[in-house]
Amino acid sequence: MILVIIGIRLLEGMFAIGAIGSFIVLVLTGIEDFETLIGSGDSTHTEESAI
Amino acid sequence: MASSYQPGTPSNRVRIVVATSVMLTFISYWRAAAIVLNDLGSSAFYAAGIAEQAIGKSAPWFIVAVMLFSFTVRAVYVESCSMFVRGGVYRVVKEALGGTLAKMSVSALMFDYILTGPISGVSAGQYIAGLINDVFVTLDTHGWVPRAVHAMFHGTPHVNVNWTSVVFGGAVTIYFWWQNTKGIQESSEKALRVMQITTVMVVLLLGWSAITLLKQGYQPVPLPTGHNLQFGHEALGFLNHTELAHDLARKFGLLGILIAFGHSVLAMSGEESLAQVNRELAHPKLKNLKRAAVIIAIYSFVFTGLTALLFVMIIPDSVRVPVYKDNLIAGLAMYLWGPQILRLAFRAFVVVVGFLILSGAVNTAIIGSNGVLNRVSEDGVLPDWFRQPHPRFGTTYRIVNLVVFLQLFTILASRGNVYWLGEAYAFGVIWSFTFNSLAMLVLRYKYKGERGWKVPPNIQIAGREIPVGLASVFLVLLSTAIVNLFTKSLATEAGVGFAATFFLIFTISERANRHKHALAEQHLQEHFQLLQRDTVDRSGLGIRPGNVLVTVRDYNTLNHLKWALERIDTKEQDIVVMSARISQFGAAAYDLSTEQIFSEYEQQLFSRAVNIAESFGKHVSLLVVPARDVWSAIVQTANNLESSAVISGLSSKMTAQEQAFELGRAWEAAPEPKRQFVVQIVHPDQQVDTFRIGPHTPSIKSEDVHLIHRLWLNITREPGLDKLHHHDVVTEALTRFARDYAGRDRQDILRELRKTTGKTVATRAIGGDGNKPPARQDDDVARKKDDGPPSPPVVGP
Repeated sequence: MILVIIGIRLLEGMFAIGAIGSFIVLVLTGIEDFETLIGSGDSTHTEESAI
Repeated sequence: MASSYQPGTPSNRVRIVVATSVMLTFISYWRAAAIVLNDLGSSAFYAAGIAEQAIGKSAPWFIVAVMLFSFTVRAVYVESCSMFVRGGVYRVVKEALGGTLAKMSVSALMFDYILTGPISGVSAGQYIAGLINDVFVTLDTHGWVPRAVHAMFHGTPHVNVNWTSVVFGGAVTIYFWWQNTKGIQESSEKALRVMQITTVMVVLLLGWSAITLLKQGYQPVPLPTGHNLQFGHEALGFLNHTELAHDLARKFGLLGILIAFGHSVLAMSGEESLAQVNRELAHPKLKNLKRAAVIIAIYSFVFTGLTALLFVMIIPDSVRVPVYKDNLIAGLAMYLWGPQILRLAFRAFVVVVGFLILSGAVNTAIIGSNGVLNRVSEDGVLPDWFRQPHPRFGTTYRIVNLVVFLQLFTILASRGNVYWLGEAYAFGVIWSFTFNSLAMLVLRYKYKGERGWKVPPNIQIAGREIPVGLASVFLVLLSTAIVNLFTKSLATEAGVGFAATFFLIFTISERANRHKHALAEQHLQEHFQLLQRDTVDRSGLGIRPGNVLVTVRDYNTLNHLKWALERIDTKEQDIVVMSARISQFGAAAYDLSTEQIFSEYEQQLFSRAVNIAESFGKHVSLLVVPARDVWSAIVQTANNLESSAVISGLSSKMTAQEQAFELGRAWEAAPEPKRQFVVQIVHPDQQVDTFRIGPHTPSIKSEDVHLIHRLWLNITREPGLDKLHHHDVVTEALTRFARDYAGRDRQDILRELRKTTGKTVATRAIGGDGNKPPARQDDDVARKKDDGPPSPPVVGP
């Protein structure tokens, strides 16, 4: 039972740390996404053919 | 000049130029986003229903959390795609994690891809069957159902929802099996149209829901706390009979949240499709990939996340799960504010959209599975037998058959139960994401090549980079995947069984193929010298302009190569033997490696071609190009090599005219500058059809030449026109014709031309849009038995 509880706590710890880190990823990539969308004017909307 | 070769002499091996850049029409990020959303967006039709059955009424908050988390998973895929690697998922993961984990990773990915088809097909069937039954109920309420029909069904007519879904899912899968066997290309245009229609539905749904909330109020969605979690009977899986199950939330608050999160991960299924479209993205690739990724993430968050909340806020508890659990968007449509007929019409629209998007996901699943199994087969992890091309269509039909067989089996085994399919599907989704993020994490240290972007943040400690962001995403995925192993017993049994079977097949095949592949590798080293080129040009092949391009595909049908070699003096004109290595749209995440492009099949094909050339004592240059569309590949190659003629064998599924038409169409789509060339299609009986591709001087009948001459004679007798040329007469006539065609006489002209067309079949246009015929069959050269190829160029540079 102790091993099960340790396993559960380990999983909870992994999830909690991962969730906090993922939140930071979300914020940082969100800022980058915003910049990407703002700078979308020079994008290519038309199809191109090339090798 | 053409390369020299003497097979068997290591110092003078057959030189083969292998182009590594795929010849394809690149797509904008909007189209790429549309393709991915066809898969990812389809989750909105079933994910929330499955989650609520498992964890209760607070499920929408977990769906929202998963959709937010999907932003970070998307970042991992962007990093994965930004690495300049070749060879497919298996090879990339193998480099990071070794052979065993790579096989496990591919097995999980296959489970994910294969399950995508059944869950999408069955879910579409649920929406259709649900609509049929509700229409019957409405008709019956108004007394519009005939008594005889009523008696036949012992009440209101109805269809069995689950079995109707099985039949529908099976029918859609069989339809796409045939399409993929024939090799019909997936169109990004079609995906874009589907997403445009879906967007109209989403906007209407959200707008109408907002009005409904204002008019009717809403029921609150319980907050995602441990106490609000109500795990269903099957939601605790193997934990169901343990002590833990009695009071999970109280004892292990976070574990309950983790279990609930695990039951909602299905909402981000389809994210992996982002890697499938990476290769096709237009320049600047990375920027467009990021743009596509952000569009996908925002769209799916709004669609899947917000609709999940609206289901609980608007649909009454009494019917939400009992009646509409498998078609919640349809249920939402029925409980919007407004007249019933309008709601029913909107529900029908929802069903049409569901049918389109979910059917698209079935096709994406077959293409994705086919692509992955092709790559692992090339790497020797699956027997080569699977890659034998279809005798008529040239597709890897055995792999398609295997995938579709597994999908049909799954559909039948599920008996139309979306919850069962969703549980199983979640296993593939979470484990393929977990393996992918683990591989990316390991590759941060092992991969030293070019990498366009990294998941932030990355911290430098003692000169070593710590990938904090990537590791965080991996931790969430791994903990969720492990918990799911215990809480989704059905998924674990099905997933582990499936993955273990595939793992076993891969392992046995790899062992069996090891010796064979070593021999093939040795044969390749001894007989062929692969020259890798990013692009195709004359200098790479060492050939002169005006050369002849001979296309080859099947080593049993090389008569047209013999025909060309009989007639061409290679001292005057070079011959290039070209094979296009076709990979379907969205079939692979990474570019192919040189060995994959020049596989065993190509070795056999070119060995035969070389033997034939040797028997004529002539030199040929050999070229392999990866391509998505064979016609575009031929046109682009002919253009780049400044070829004057293309010689092909007669296709087993098309007429010569159809082949020329397709080439003409590809020529029209090709970018400028482009050159005209002649196409000669050699029939098995050595008859030849000749066509000119691109604008060219038409063949003029002798009576037309006489007419021009008579007109010229008459006009030059007029004062001041004695210096007139014949071409001036033609120019004036054409200018007047163009004016009349653009004016009132258009219909008269078309009527006359239609009459003429029937009389001069040989000179009709066979391609283009009607105004601009791209290919034309010549009167004088059509179907002549011994006409050689243009030598030297019929159509000069």
